[in-house]
This record gives sequence, C-alpha cells and structure tokens, in this order.
Amino acid sequence: MDIGYFLELLINGALTGLMYSLVALGIVLIYKSSGVPNLAQGAMVMISAYLIWVGVSLAGLPMIVALALAVVGMFLFGLLAERLLLRKMVGQPIIMIVMLTLGLEIFLRGLGPGLLGAAPKSLDLGIDLMPIIIGEVFINRAYLVGAVVAVVMIVLSLLFFRTRLGTKLRAVSDDHVSSWSVGISVERAIGISWGLAGASAVAAGALWGSVQGVDWTLSMLLFPAVAVVILGGLDSIYGVLVAGLIVGILGSVIPGYVDPIVGGGTRDVVTSLIILLTIIFRPHGMFGREDIERV
Amino acid sequence: MKSFLKGLAGAASIAAIGISGAAKADEPIRFALLQDFTAVYTFVTDEYNQGQRDYIELVNREGGLNGHEIEAIIRDTGNEPQRGIEAYNRARREGAILVDFLSTPVSRAAVNRVLDDEVVMITVLHGRGDASDGTTFPYIFPMMATYWSQATLLLDYIDREQGGLEGKRIAHVYIDSPFGREPVPVMEELAQRKDFELRTYAYPSPGNEQSATWSDVRRFRPDHVILWGAGGGQAVSVREAIRNGIPQENILSVVWMAETDARTIGEERATGIKRFEAVATGTDLPIMQRILEEVIEPGHGAGPSENVGTTYYNIGVASMAVATEAARLALEEHGAPLTGTSLRDGFRMIRDFDAEGMMPPVSFAEDDHQGGGYGRVSRWNGEAWEAVTDWFTAHQDIVWEEIEKDAAGFREGR
Repeated sequence: MDIGYFLELLINGALTGLMYSLVALGIVLIYKSSGVPNLAQGAMVMISAYLIWVGVSLAGLPMIVALALAVVGMFLFGLLAERLLLRKMVGQPIIMIVMLTLGLEIFLRGLGPGLLGAAPKSLDLGIDLMPIIIGEVFINRAYLVGAVVAVVMIVLSLLFFRTRLGTKLRAVSDDHVSSWSVGISVERAIGISWGLAGASAVAAGALWGSVQGVDWTLSMLLFPAVAVVILGGLDSIYGVLVAGLIVGILGSVIPGYVDPIVGGGTRDVVTSLIILLTIIFRPHGMFGREDIERV
Repeated sequence: MKSFLKGLAGAASIAAIGISGAAKADEPIRFALLQDFTAVYTFVTDEYNQGQRDYIELVNREGGLNGHEIEAIIRDTGNEPQRGIEAYNRARREGAILVDFLSTPVSRAAVNRVLDDEVVMITVLHGRGDASDGTTFPYIFPMMATYWSQATLLLDYIDREQGGLEGKRIAHVYIDSPFGREPVPVMEELAQRKDFELRTYAYPSPGNEQSATWSDVRRFRPDHVILWGAGGGQAVSVREAIRNGIPQENILSVVWMAETDARTIGEERATGIKRFEAVATGTDLPIMQRILEEVIEPGHGAGPSENVGTTYYNIGVASMAVATEAARLALEEHGAPLTGTSLRDGFRMIRDFDAEGMMPPVSFAEDDHQGGGYGRVSRWNGEAWEAVTDWFTAHQDIVWEEIEKDAAGFREGR
C-alpha cells in the first residue's frame, strides 16, 4: 500500500471537508436559531462570491474592502430575507418553509448569472498555487487556508452561542411562543441568524470562488453541505466540524481507491450514502438533539 | 441579461407574424437559436449567441441574402429536452428552417423530429458525433470537428510537435459524463497504433473539487495530460495539474477552454497551456472588422462589446457564417422560398469555405456533414490564445470508424 497516496487523500480530503463545513455552517446557524432548514445556502454562497467579484473587478476595490462590503451586504440580505419572506411564513407548516427556501435557492441561482453574465469570473485571493510538499504528500494550499478559516468561523460560532444574544437565539429555536412570553424578539433573532448565515456564506464564497471561479455551479456546494449537516446534526455547530471532516475524508479516500477500478463517479455515491444511512439509522445526526414529541 | 431580453423581444415580434411552413419569397429566412441560457451551458451560451446575432445583424446591414433578411428566433431551453422540443415546435410554426440548440441533451432529443420535419439542425461542437454521417442523418450538420476529431488532432500534435507518442504516458482527465468519455475509444485505438500508455481519470460533475483525482494522476507520472471538461471545472483541472507538478506546456484541452478560464487560473500561471481551436479568436479578421465597424461601433451589438472576439463569440460568428453561406448557395440553386431541404442542399454545396480566414476550410457532402474534422492547436501566451499550428486534421480513418459504428447503431435502433 502506498502510504503517501493514502495520507494525501486523507489530508486533502479533511481540508476539503472543512471547506464544505464552511457552507454547512450557514445552514446550522439558521436552524439552530430559528428551526428553519435553509436550502438556499448554496445560492447564498454563490451570490456572496458574485458580490466580492463585483467589488474587486467592477468597482476596483481592494480585496479586503470587497470582502468587508460583501459581509455587510450578505448580512443585510439575510435580514431582508427574514423580513420579506420568513416572517410571512409564521404558523405555516415547516414543509412550506423548506419549499420557500428552495424557491429562494432557484431564484438566486438565476439572478446572479442573469444580472452579471453566466461566464465564470475569476477571484484571486493571492493564495500561492504551489502545494506544501511534505515527503511525498502534496497539500493543497488553498484548501489549507480554507480549512483554517472554517475552523476559526466554527469556533467563533460556538463562542457566539454562549453570549447573551446567542442564548436568546437558542431560546427562540426551542420555542417561539415561550421566547415571546419572556420578551425576546423572535423576529429580530431569526433575522440575525439569517444575517450571520449570510456573513458565513461570504467566507465560503470567497474561498470556493478562488478555487473554481465564480459561476452558478457554486450553488451546487449545497449537496455536500447538506450531507455535513445531516451527519453532524442540524443544530450542532460542533457536528459541522466533525461531520465535515468525515464527509471530506470519505469523499476523498474511497473514490481515490475505487474510482480507478469502476471508472469514476463514486464520490457523489459516497455523499449520498452518508445522507441515506444517517437518516435511516440516526435521523438527528451524530451530535444533533433528539426531540421526542408526544402525539 | 439585457441582450437576452432584447433577443426575447425580437423573438416575440417574430411570433406575432404567425407564419407556418417555409419562408415566402419576400420574407426573411428564419434561424431558430433555441439555447440554454440558464442552466448547464451558461459558460458558453451568452458569448456564442451574441456572436451569432451580431453576424446576422452584419448580414442584414449589408443587404441580406438576395434581399432576404435573416431573422433569429431566440428562446431559452434551460437545457431541458421537453422545453427544447416545445420551443422547436413554436419556431417550426413560425417558419424556422434551421435550428441550433447548443445542448447535447436537447439536440439528441430532437434528432428524430428534425429528420421527420426536414429541418436543418446544426450541432456545432456538441450533439451526436455520428451525425457526421450525412446519409444516416441527412438534416444534421455537426459542421466542425467532432470530439473524436479533436482527440485525434491533439494526440497527433503531441506525436509531431512534442517529442512523439511512442512509449509516452498520456492521462485523459475528464468530467464524469458521456461527453467526457466520448473520445476514449479513439484514444485507445491510437494508443495501440502508436504504442503509448493511456490512462483515464474521471472527476465528478461539475468539477469544483478534483484533488483526489489529481493525486492519482500524479502517481501515473504522465508526460502529457488531456483535459476533457467544460465551464468552471476546466480552471480547477489546470490548477490541480500545475499544483501536481505537470508543466503547463504538457497540458492540452478540448475546445472548451477560453479566455475566462485562463483568467480564473491566473493569466501568468496559465501561460503555456494548449487547447484545440475550432475557430480563430480575436478581432484581427476581416469578418470581425466588419462586425466592429457596422454593428458594434454604431451601437447595434447584441451584448457587451468586451465579448467581441472572444473564443465562444467567434465560434458563434463562424457558425452563422457557414449557415448563411449554405442559405446563399441554396437560394442560387433553388431560389426562394428556402425550405429545410433546399438549405440542406446548400450546406452540401459548400466547398472550402473558411469565413474569410476565420476558420479552417470546410466542405460538406452527402455523406460527410462534419466538414473534414479540421482544427488547430493554440497556446495561452499570458494575454491571449495564439495559434501554434496551421489548420490540420488527423487520423480521420479512426474517427470515421466510430462515426459509422454509432450511425449503424442509430439505424438499427440501438
């Protein structure tokens, strides 16, 4: 067995998985705060990348300024999404809210390329293309940077939910009516959670956009991100970290050995199996809270 | 978006005319450009369609064809066969005699319809390669080199210009789809003939993450890699190849590698990579100069002026240049009104047409709708794609074996 090959698949898989975690984090932030599974997160990542591109390439701003403005823009977008869409869905069945986010995903996926052109745009974060070479193992520098950013974002999110505001958001997620009764503004809490998800989408959009260019396919990152949140647990930020590593490693190591035998295409199969098996055997995921409801 | 809306408005005005059947003698010749503006082919459609419309505008401003204007019917199919067929039915009722879907799934779904309706379908750089067999597919014109011809041409370039193929290791890295796998049979045949080692590596669609694939490629220690993808995945492939120590000079690509991909890779980093080229890029060409003077500068262009002269824009221009030449010859031979059948005959009368130096000379015949399978290799020089060979064709015997094998399958209902 070529141990160098195995280690390379393992390490780059782990780093890629953490990049997926960055997309998944937005889904968990919203669910943990408002109980809404947001299927528009992939398109929010795409829109974030377009915003950064507009700032850098059209407005001629320095990258750091474009990033900051994109964070502000996506935070406002999140607040608006809550005000204009989610607030009208209060009291509606959860499936209709899920469908609403799916509709938002499709709308955004058409909006970005429709307004700015469908050809891929380049986004250069200045990360050196050359890998870090340790022995025979080539480590992707862009993914390493992405993984570090993902870990920082996840740790910040964990800390945020220990703050006073974060505690309010958790209360809102538990029970809207009880939260109202103790004076918590549920609408404001949900709006903030969407704003935070928008801000985390900027980090994912910048990093993934620099790797592949900015186009509609960024929204396809929703698929691995959904696998991460289902495996980790929809309401667990810690789960995002662990599940991201697992999804990334399995999605790298298994295809690395099986693809040459079967002619490719196994990574999506692995991701799908993770989703299916988790839902069948542990519907609340590894670290999600198991709600028991009396009927 | 603005240009697309403009196109839709034009299409709506055409729909209002409400004509069925062939165009009458004093009426425009209608070409239906029913393409994917919103789903999978978005990386190419905007520029390609803009080039088509600007060329049609040029022809009309220069007096049309024997007094007949050309009108473009433009609709979005979203790469969905059902939407494509619906759009085709409407366009057919409006009098279209030529259709271009620029989508393999949609054009494949429409094959039997266009053959039954006797409407010309052009499948430029997409669709069925076996439609090059004009006796089996009399109304379908691939018009430019099929993917089989592109693969044999790239391998022939390595054989002649990059130290020969014998004993070499060639990695074919492709998007995991029928498009990505399509050239494999001709590559395998050439590997036997030329005694080189070929290995194939698939990456999952859309190609935004390919690191595991390239770890495997590196261990093969390829002398050359041939990339077979499209859209954002192409830039990821090149970046991964460079990251895994493959020199840019040894990276070659299918036709779907454009200026925007080089910018995503990084203009300096991409220097040296090569690609198959079907049509010359840039504006230093007679047709492009006339488009600039008569269409773009007076403000009649169909889209952003910065797209003029890009790879996919120019392919769009060339596609309409060939179609217009076919219509001109058909009018000379059969007179107005043009029908799908007379337009088909016009295509088959084309001999050594090169759109004033913009593309390789193409000739069609009753049994050859590919046009010869010509192309050339171009190299990214840090700022633009520059040709490094003349137009040429290679190993068409292998290509035609595949064409005839698949065409026979179609005839037998396989």
